[in-house]
Amino acid sequence: MGLEQLLPAISGMTWQHLVMIGVGLTLIYLAIAKNYEPTLLLPMGFGAILVNIPLSSAISQIDPATGEAVEGVLNIFFDAGIATEIFPLLIFVAIGAMIDFSPLFRNPSLLLFGAAAQLGIFLTMLLATMLGYDIREAASIGIIGAADGPTSIVVASRFAPNLLGPISVAAYSYMALVPIIQPPVIRLLTSRKERLIRMTGNNNKKISKKALIAFPIVITIAAGIIAPSSLALIGFLMFGNLIRECGVLNKLSLAAQNELSSLVTILLGITIASTMTAERFIRVDTLIIIALGLFAFVFDTFGGVIFAKFLNLFRKEGNKINPMVGACGISAFPMSARVIHQMGQKEDPYNYLLMPAISANVGGQIGSVVAGGIILTLVPLLA
Amino acid sequence: MTSTIQTALFIAIVGILGIFIFMIIFYLLIKGLDKWFPYKEEKPEQDFVLDEIED
Repeated sequence: MGLEQLLPAISGMTWQHLVMIGVGLTLIYLAIAKNYEPTLLLPMGFGAILVNIPLSSAISQIDPATGEAVEGVLNIFFDAGIATEIFPLLIFVAIGAMIDFSPLFRNPSLLLFGAAAQLGIFLTMLLATMLGYDIREAASIGIIGAADGPTSIVVASRFAPNLLGPISVAAYSYMALVPIIQPPVIRLLTSRKERLIRMTGNNNKKISKKALIAFPIVITIAAGIIAPSSLALIGFLMFGNLIRECGVLNKLSLAAQNELSSLVTILLGITIASTMTAERFIRVDTLIIIALGLFAFVFDTFGGVIFAKFLNLFRKEGNKINPMVGACGISAFPMSARVIHQMGQKEDPYNYLLMPAISANVGGQIGSVVAGGIILTLVPLLA
Repeated sequence: MTSTIQTALFIAIVGILGIFIFMIIFYLLIKGLDKWFPYKEEKPEQDFVLDEIED
């Protein structure tokens, strides 16, 4: 009996498998040593190893003895949780239960940055079509700019399941890299004088409990009337938030924030890895998608900062917006707000931008989901 | 310009305008909710009982 019969995995191993195992190890290293989105990157990294060992029973294989297809557990998870969008939508319930919308009530005008900072999505989609991707693939790549993992997964799983692996890796990696990506772009677009702008607002204003309870209901109805296709995304997010704010479901709210979030995140990460097989991942497409994802994040930041500068043209001295806050209109919460606050403090230790930055960042969380909903509505109509 | 790029351009323009419209509506709803449900300081339960007794 030869080595091939004894250890078929070794004889079936190709350099592509080894590269993917290296990718998996890198993701695990980034998660543990650098603390880059560990909740997602670690399961994805481990999953990448799991599916790239030849004949792995974790993914569907053809049994060499019988010639019959044997379904792997990760493919079953994929069909049940990702293809049906159940996992990302459950994550939205958990995220909704974690979000406190009261900063938006304190500075509602900053909600608009949640729109401006989605610019990267659409520019990237445009660029992707110029590079030869069809409109569905381009929209899925562009949505990396939502800086929102579950939204990227929902859109990509619907429009380009073949690209789900690289899109998820890019989305979660760049979310973790916000502190590295945003500051140089912001510095390039702003003067020191602009970065020193102090923002006073209603940062200590108290918000009525009734308003916070009514908010998710009203937003769901409004979103449903305008764009029913966006309701799955926005509705689940707002449902989670209603559980949080209603005051009578504290146990469920805590369960959504902790147990539901943890359980689905584990399954989501390792299931996405089922798409990270060598045949599907080691392609030029993957490198292009990763480059386009960076482009999306850079132009999200650009959109937010330039929009703030544009608004400042119409605002009186003393009431201007610090353009750095515009960059917080992405969904990476609270990382983006924290980065901007720290940048502000570096310029002026007495400049506290945290509250307005958080308001814009919460706006970004809504904006990214709205952007996902709009893409889910428009693309099937026009493609 | 191919038809795919034209479609992408159209989606980009409509999409970005759409997000702004959504956000403006949400902004108005927040303003409305804040007006309809202004914050009121809730009295501690004990004070409330005392007030009733005094009446």
